[in-house]
Amino acid sequence: MNTVLSRANSLFAFSLSVMAALTFGCFVTTAFKDRRVPADIHVSKVMLKNVDDFTGPRERSDLGFITFDLSADLQPVFDWNVKQLFLYLSAEYSTKSNSLNQVVLWDKIVLRGENPKLNLRDMKSKYFFFDDGNGLRANKNITLTLSWNVVPNAGILPLVAGSGQVSLPFPDAYETTKSY
Amino acid sequence: MLSIFKSIPSHMDYKGQKLAEQIFQGIILISAVIGFVYGLIIEQFGWTVYIVLVGFAVSCVLTLPPWPMYRKNPLSWQPVIPETSGESSQKPQETLKKKKHK
Repeated sequence: MNTVLSRANSLFAFSLSVMAALTFGCFVTTAFKDRRVPADIHVSKVMLKNVDDFTGPRERSDLGFITFDLSADLQPVFDWNVKQLFLYLSAEYSTKSNSLNQVVLWDKIVLRGENPKLNLRDMKSKYFFFDDGNGLRANKNITLTLSWNVVPNAGILPLVAGSGQVSLPFPDAYETTKSY
Repeated sequence: MLSIFKSIPSHMDYKGQKLAEQIFQGIILISAVIGFVYGLIIEQFGWTVYIVLVGFAVSCVLTLPPWPMYRKNPLSWQPVIPETSGESSQKPQETLKKKKHK
């Protein structure tokens, strides 16, 4: 500690250690918090088509088009350890050939500082709702779920599943629009 | 260019070094506690980092330059003995030579 450089080294190393301890403290204060919030999903229109699917092994597959409304208040999820939220809407159903199918239809990134109250109307799905085969037609039960991934400043990234679900049957014939 | 910086005296005596270390550790710990509580209250971790950086800057100013308060206990060196050059420097060398031959 006799020279300026030696004192500066000591000071800087101590500051970094203290900063690391503070970051760990930040993680500990929010590690066990429940990140679930009720969300409201409402589907207004569903249309089904049977089209050529070049990514799959067969000639034609079912393709669904969903129009939905989404509202949720995400303000309680944000705290000082949350950088952003990654939301995604997924559809889950079972068919004769596969017992469990999960397809992501739409996603959104909500940064801290943006408006956390979601109120989306008449949203179209962002990604193609292709089925592995023809299992969407006359399917009795397709469940849409909104889940999210919390991206923190420090610590683990919890995946919060299923806040708000809605189940609906799909139309019996192709190229017909079913309204709810 | 480095020689200019090396010629500026930046030493502190031992008590001064201890005082400097206590000062910067205290300042940084206090600013860390204040920053943690303030960040927790306003729900923004960025402010915690800013407050710790302010504490770092304050302790840089207080402990890096050799202020006079760190030089209050200088070491008391023995007074310089004036050299009676020729004789005293030769005698140790002779005894050294004898030991080597053995």
